[in-house]
Amino acid sequence: WLAVVVRDEEGRRRFHGAFTGGFSAGFYNTAGSKEGWTPQTFTSSRKSRAEHKKQSIYNFLDEEDIKDMGGNALETSQQYDTFGFTAAEHARKQASKEQNERPSAIPGPVPDELVVPATTSIGVKLLMKMGWHQGRTIKDAHADSLYESRREARKAFLALSGVSNDEDQDQIASQKSRVDENVAESFNKISASGNTPVYVLHPKEDLHGLGFDPFKHAPEFKGQYAPGFGIGALEELGVEDEDIYASGFNYEQTEVDIEPSKTSGDSKFKLEDKKRGFFLSFKIASNSEYKLERFHPPEIPADFDGRHKFSSPIQTADKFSDLAPPEVPPPEDTTLRLLIEGCAAMVARCGKHIEDFYKEKSKASPQFLFLDGGDGCSYYTRKLWEHQQKFIDRQRPGAVKSKPSSDKLTAENRGTILGEKPLDRSSKSSSSFVSAKEAVQLQSNLGDTFVKPISLDGVPESKKPFRNEPAKQARFEQFLKEKYQGGLRIASLAPTITMSDADRARERLDFEAAADAIEKGKEYKAIDPLSILGLPGLNEQRFVSSTQLESSAVLQDERPMYPQREEFEWRPSPILCKRFDIVDPFMGKPMPLRRPISKMDTLMFMTESTKKINEDVRGSSTIPQNAAVSGTEETEAQETANNPDIVASRMQRPVDLYKAIFSDDSDDDMDEPLNNQQVDPVKTSEGANMALNRLVAEDFLESLGKELGLEVPPEKPAQPPNVLFRSEILPTADASVSRNGQTSTFREIKENEGSLGLMEAANGNGDDPSSNVEKLDFKYEHSADIGRSHSLHRQIRNGSPESDTSIERHRSRKR
Amino acid sequence: SLSLSPKKKGGSPTPEPSARGRTKEMSSAAQQLPRTESRTLSGHEGAVLAVRFNHDGKYCLSCGKDRTVRLWNPHTGAHVKTYKSHGREVRDVNASSDNAKLVSCGGDKQIFYWDVASGKVIRKFRGHNSEVNSVKFNEHNTVVLSAGYDRSVRAFDCRSQSSDPIQTIDTFQDSVMSVNVTNTEIIAGSVDGTVRTFDIRMGRETVDNLGHPVNCISLSNDRNCLLANCLDSTVRLLDKNSGEMLQEYKGHICKSFKMDCCLTNDDAFVIGGSEDGFVFFWELVDAPIVATFRAHSSVVLFPCHQRHLSPNKDLHVDVICRWDHSCLDLKIEIADVCYPY
Repeated sequence: WLAVVVRDEEGRRRFHGAFTGGFSAGFYNTAGSKEGWTPQTFTSSRKSRAEHKKQSIYNFLDEEDIKDMGGNALETSQQYDTFGFTAAEHARKQASKEQNERPSAIPGPVPDELVVPATTSIGVKLLMKMGWHQGRTIKDAHADSLYESRREARKAFLALSGVSNDEDQDQIASQKSRVDENVAESFNKISASGNTPVYVLHPKEDLHGLGFDPFKHAPEFKGQYAPGFGIGALEELGVEDEDIYASGFNYEQTEVDIEPSKTSGDSKFKLEDKKRGFFLSFKIASNSEYKLERFHPPEIPADFDGRHKFSSPIQTADKFSDLAPPEVPPPEDTTLRLLIEGCAAMVARCGKHIEDFYKEKSKASPQFLFLDGGDGCSYYTRKLWEHQQKFIDRQRPGAVKSKPSSDKLTAENRGTILGEKPLDRSSKSSSSFVSAKEAVQLQSNLGDTFVKPISLDGVPESKKPFRNEPAKQARFEQFLKEKYQGGLRIASLAPTITMSDADRARERLDFEAAADAIEKGKEYKAIDPLSILGLPGLNEQRFVSSTQLESSAVLQDERPMYPQREEFEWRPSPILCKRFDIVDPFMGKPMPLRRPISKMDTLMFMTESTKKINEDVRGSSTIPQNAAVSGTEETEAQETANNPDIVASRMQRPVDLYKAIFSDDSDDDMDEPLNNQQVDPVKTSEGANMALNRLVAEDFLESLGKELGLEVPPEKPAQPPNVLFRSEILPTADASVSRNGQTSTFREIKENEGSLGLMEAANGNGDDPSSNVEKLDFKYEHSADIGRSHSLHRQIRNGSPESDTSIERHRSRKR
Repeated sequence: SLSLSPKKKGGSPTPEPSARGRTKEMSSAAQQLPRTESRTLSGHEGAVLAVRFNHDGKYCLSCGKDRTVRLWNPHTGAHVKTYKSHGREVRDVNASSDNAKLVSCGGDKQIFYWDVASGKVIRKFRGHNSEVNSVKFNEHNTVVLSAGYDRSVRAFDCRSQSSDPIQTIDTFQDSVMSVNVTNTEIIAGSVDGTVRTFDIRMGRETVDNLGHPVNCISLSNDRNCLLANCLDSTVRLLDKNSGEMLQEYKGHICKSFKMDCCLTNDDAFVIGGSEDGFVFFWELVDAPIVATFRAHSSVVLFPCHQRHLSPNKDLHVDVICRWDHSCLDLKIEIADVCYPY
């Protein structure tokens, strides 16, 4: 027994079993080796227990054996594989595994990976039961729609074409076969529609901006970093390969073919099925119970022209009106003649069916024989024609009239259609319809509630005299309507609310004039638009001021001549003269009396005088209450009377703080020299009231002034008003203090309305703040007066309320 | 009074030409009137409300609804400077005769006194109670006169620190639209239909009632005539001394806008804008329309004529500004022509 050394392809000595041609094992068929048998090193199982080794067949096989096995390791699958689902899932998993191996855009588990549906949804399950495969479109819309549309077309065709029965049958038979074809076709299309592509995302890894190409100017480096396959490390990326508009993500379209073998098998199977005449497991019955019910289209009469005709008497009459039967002498029998005539009239009015009715009746009675071509037939036809003709004549105007306005049937139309006698009404003017006497009586009876209509004609567009003012034009039209159309007079017109009575009256005059002009123009058939437009006070109302209105009101007829010149004295301020390098024309002259613009000045005097009266009253009332205070007041009044100049100078002192806060009154600065002649420096009752407010406001104003950074101008060292004030008040205060040494005296004074201001001064005890307060006080008073006078001023200057409104109107327009 | 024949170069007194010769001359002069757009000054972001030349005619100022005043060189089309400070629309602007100061007014009731070079506001004159419509410097640039919607004309002193008016004229009965100043007079036109002339030297106020709201008044170059643009679509020429109406110019539309009017440098033609975008030229004496041209797609607010000829005395510039409702095309258009006299 020669030791046959069996070696494998790689030269290794192999154990060679008996089945494969010999036995060669170990060292010369021993269990040992050349060196002999070496026992295993002992390992204590106590310390490290031998692991339980799971053995598999692979532990005992080498590569060769495995290769021999064909690599097909049998595995058990958890899922029963219908329609190759697992394969698809496998492919999917593979793809996702690939995806996972790629660097992820979001580090860590991606939400998609986290959120995995636990089971397939019921919809998917159902679809799969119905034969849907993963990755397929659910419905092949194209094939289906094609089939559907074809079917529809066929239906329509069948419905339209009136085919004979056997033809129909043929048709249906051919139809059936075609249907089969179609079904098969559609199925083919479904199977051939293939799989939906799976898009694999290559996430963006670099930090470049979207669309940025780092190799733009160095294309030779591009290949080295280009992701994706197909381009080797050293291959150059051609210019044409570049995708300029590529987004940051590179899509790689890979078709995951799920079951290539099976689909082809399926199609083969289907083809075979089709050949054999059945489809899958269903076979089309040779003769089915179900028959497609077909309805033939309704038969259309040959004379149908698509329009409905009413068998109205007019229509029938029209039919007859064409041919006029010859004139026939009436039959001798009068009763027959009457009967014929009556019958003809009846038939003409009611229609043909009456004739038929009579005909039917006439079978019984011999009187109606003329209907059937008996005695007097020709006369009847003639009479009928005549009646019809008459009827048409009566109806035609109504019919003609009603035709264009058929959509809106008026009472008159209806009346004419029904053959009613139209009532004599508005078409004629009342003056002609009603006799003159009656008219007068009516007028007197109706009185003012109704206005008399004169004519119904509207004013043509071109004759609108107030075209410039739509509102006024509207009012004018309303006026015309009232005048000409009559009817109930509208008590209050909406737009006149804003107008004054005088304004309204004037406008009414304008309207009358314009209406007259229009009347005249109508009479002479030649209207001169200028004559209307040139009406006094019509056209120039548009942008006119208050004086204008007044003058136009006065000179209603003759237009005032413009331009008009007036001259007044005007006093420029000295500084203006100086700045204009002109010698002041009024230098050294006393202030002139103000030109009386209006009654405003006198009113101003009036207010002053009333103020004085008030003062007197107040002063008298205070005397019994507080002798000391009233005494001071008296002295004050005396002193002010003595030196008005001092007062004036006090008034003129500018108080910037006040102006800064209440700057609205500042425009009256120029009036000051004029006003201060009248303004009484003694505190008025209003002033006293304000003083109370001022007490509260004083601190606020001061702080506000500081905040605004406005300086209250410093007190001039020797100022008469201050001296005056101190001389008046300080003694009082001192006296009171010296008398009581308490503040209670002040309270007493406070209770006295008129002396609050004084109290203030006393409280300040002659300090500088108190003098400021005084100033404020004076300014306040003064400005209040001015404010009042100013408002008066405005009112009066505007002249009258209507002028005011006109100005307002004008202003609003301007805005 | 105004010589009704066109003034000759240098204002040299020439014998009155025969009527025929005059018409011939007129027609030739009318040929010289600007009719074409020579330049567009664009930059305003809103309607342009006023355009004024400075005294020597080298620059022009514009102001508008975009609350800015802009300084332009109309001869080159250069936009020199923008003056921004107004809080509302700027309605009028005027430059001092020494070109150092500007004064502007508008909807914010204040009058801004600007330094041209630095573009800073030197002073704000307060006193008007509502919008200020027009503003002017006097001859010596010492006083600013303003006309306001508050029915007053106010004079402000440029030399003092005070921002209050030195004089308020409030005899007007409605909004004062325009003010003009001569050596000794203040002339203002108001919506109450009057043109009031305040003679400082005489201490007189002359009221010329025209019967129609006066939009704009403008003086002839010899200061003897007044041109008043009234809201009845009529421009009226008045003799300032007598108050007589010398002529009426019609044909344009002026019904709801404050629109300017002016005379040409030689006082031969009256220029007026129209609400339909046309510019009208009337012959002064006989008042026929000698030329019209469409300058803007919308209202021409401001035909502005170069008052003082530039040194070479041959360049003649018209600036017309416009109000555009749609605010689509906001620009000043300049029409210029060479005057060979």
